[in-house]
Amino acid sequence: MADPGAAADGGALETPLRVDAEVVHVAREGESSHRLRLAVPGWRRFSPGQFVMLSPGVREAAPRTDPLLPRPMAVYRAVGAGEEIEILFKRHGRGTALLAEARPGQKVGLVGPLGRGFPVADPAERALLVAGGTGIASIYALGKRIRAAGGQVRVLLGARAVDDLMGEADFASSGLPLRIATEDGSRGERGLVTDLLEQELEDAGRTRVYACGPTPMMRRAAEIARGAGAPCLVSLENPMACGFGVCLGCAAPLVEGGFALVCRDGPVFDAERIDWEGLP
Amino acid sequence: MTRPELTPEDVDPRVDLGGIALRNPVLTASGTFGYGTEFSPFLDLRRIGGFVAKSLTLEPRHGNPPPRIAEAPSAMLNAISLENVGVDAFVRDKLPALPEDVTVVASLFETEIDRYAEAAKRLSGVPRIQGLEVNASCPHVKSGGIEFGQDPTVLAQLIRSVRRATSAPLLVKLSPNVTHIAEMARVCEGEGADGLSLINAVQALEVDVERRRPVLANILGGLSGPAIRPIALRMVWQASRAVKIPICGIGGITSGEDAVKFLLCGASAVQVGTANYLDPGVAGDVADGLRSYAARHGFPRVKDLVGGLDTDGR
Repeated sequence: MADPGAAADGGALETPLRVDAEVVHVAREGESSHRLRLAVPGWRRFSPGQFVMLSPGVREAAPRTDPLLPRPMAVYRAVGAGEEIEILFKRHGRGTALLAEARPGQKVGLVGPLGRGFPVADPAERALLVAGGTGIASIYALGKRIRAAGGQVRVLLGARAVDDLMGEADFASSGLPLRIATEDGSRGERGLVTDLLEQELEDAGRTRVYACGPTPMMRRAAEIARGAGAPCLVSLENPMACGFGVCLGCAAPLVEGGFALVCRDGPVFDAERIDWEGLP
Repeated sequence: MTRPELTPEDVDPRVDLGGIALRNPVLTASGTFGYGTEFSPFLDLRRIGGFVAKSLTLEPRHGNPPPRIAEAPSAMLNAISLENVGVDAFVRDKLPALPEDVTVVASLFETEIDRYAEAAKRLSGVPRIQGLEVNASCPHVKSGGIEFGQDPTVLAQLIRSVRRATSAPLLVKLSPNVTHIAEMARVCEGEGADGLSLINAVQALEVDVERRRPVLANILGGLSGPAIRPIALRMVWQASRAVKIPICGIGGITSGEDAVKFLLCGASAVQVGTANYLDPGVAGDVADGLRSYAARHGFPRVKDLVGGLDTDGR
């Protein structure tokens, strides 16, 4: 099998930590989004697209057993000069509810940073970042990095409604050119974010698409990119139990046959390698 | 009985598991610990007694299509289908990557008895492998897919055949999906197994109610995690009363106290499984916690806890 990690950024990956992170604060944003700020002892840096496994609820002497599994969460950004990171997430189950209700000073189990992030972009290419739902959290740092390296970036964000839109103010104040689509038209243009992608790719030039969001959105983005002759990278969000390559729960089927592990070989993949039909 | 409290350093944690000398009784369970190296950023492998590597087949094997995992209360289901690199790649590539002084138990499974024996033969005499664990919870092709470990006659044939193929310490990992675990334990002992590992995952099903579908693509999966611990304790207790060979207890262990429960029920050692996913350093904490418990309760050797369950008057 070819190296499934070919999309890696090439540099050495940061050795992941296993630590108790301290909740600095949790703030609700919009209808169901939350911003969690964590102090992570020993945190150094991450590559945009990498993630952490967060155990819901307060860490005590032994791991919490219900809910049992940690939740994979994209590292949204590092904050301040020290060892703090932010996570943007949506409350949709018991695990995320516990994280949303965490109090400052409480400890949560953290393993990370994990996975291989987005490869370093070619500054001569235009980067089109397409994200929807919680996928928005995976691309903020990427947009900042490409722009800092002198690359041309455009960000397309999608949500069902304005209340579902994560991190809008950050993108707006970052100076990254931004277009928004909501399904109900409550912010930006009415429709799907992939409609915006189609418009943007009418004159593709040298463009690379970076997509993260629900599977149907990424699959559609990959189709549109292929049609326009633009390469497309996707960051997959398969459920996983461990995040470091042992549970084998996050297997993504490949066009070439067999599976890649989203946690170890991804989460970022060349969209052409993914067998979308076999991805739940 | 009150015993004088000791310090953990006073407690001898060493145990023997069917001829496998362990520096402490805490191993990690097959399928939850990869090939060991995945844990190197998180855990000094010398803190634990050893690990049971992911089950190996003669040929490399891909697993099931996704979804492969689901969460349940204090538990998870998996249907990975024993994806692995194969016996030869394990010996050639995975073993040399491990630190020298780590105890390795190789787990093997196949779909036919002669292939199990061949896998056992190829893994025997490999210097880095201290013991073998036969995963008997696999569907037996010739019996129409029933697990080897569910039919005492088939299980006996399997263990007899593997026993002939290897002189390495031989553990048998038993399926919990049986009516009489003691009978299966006796069968293995009778055929020359050196020890038993139990329990494997409990056959289970979870439902996506919105879509009215099974959550797992495979429909059925194996339930593991703290929810199955009392079932595992019961089966270890029953098996330990039926046989003289040592038992390695498995099922939902997340702490030293959990491990103590298995020793009290008759296990000589334990394996930490699903908890490795939640906390990749937890097995070291379980080993430390077990030793601390022994010290706190005045047991000079961890093995003095084995079979210590007081059932008088119950």
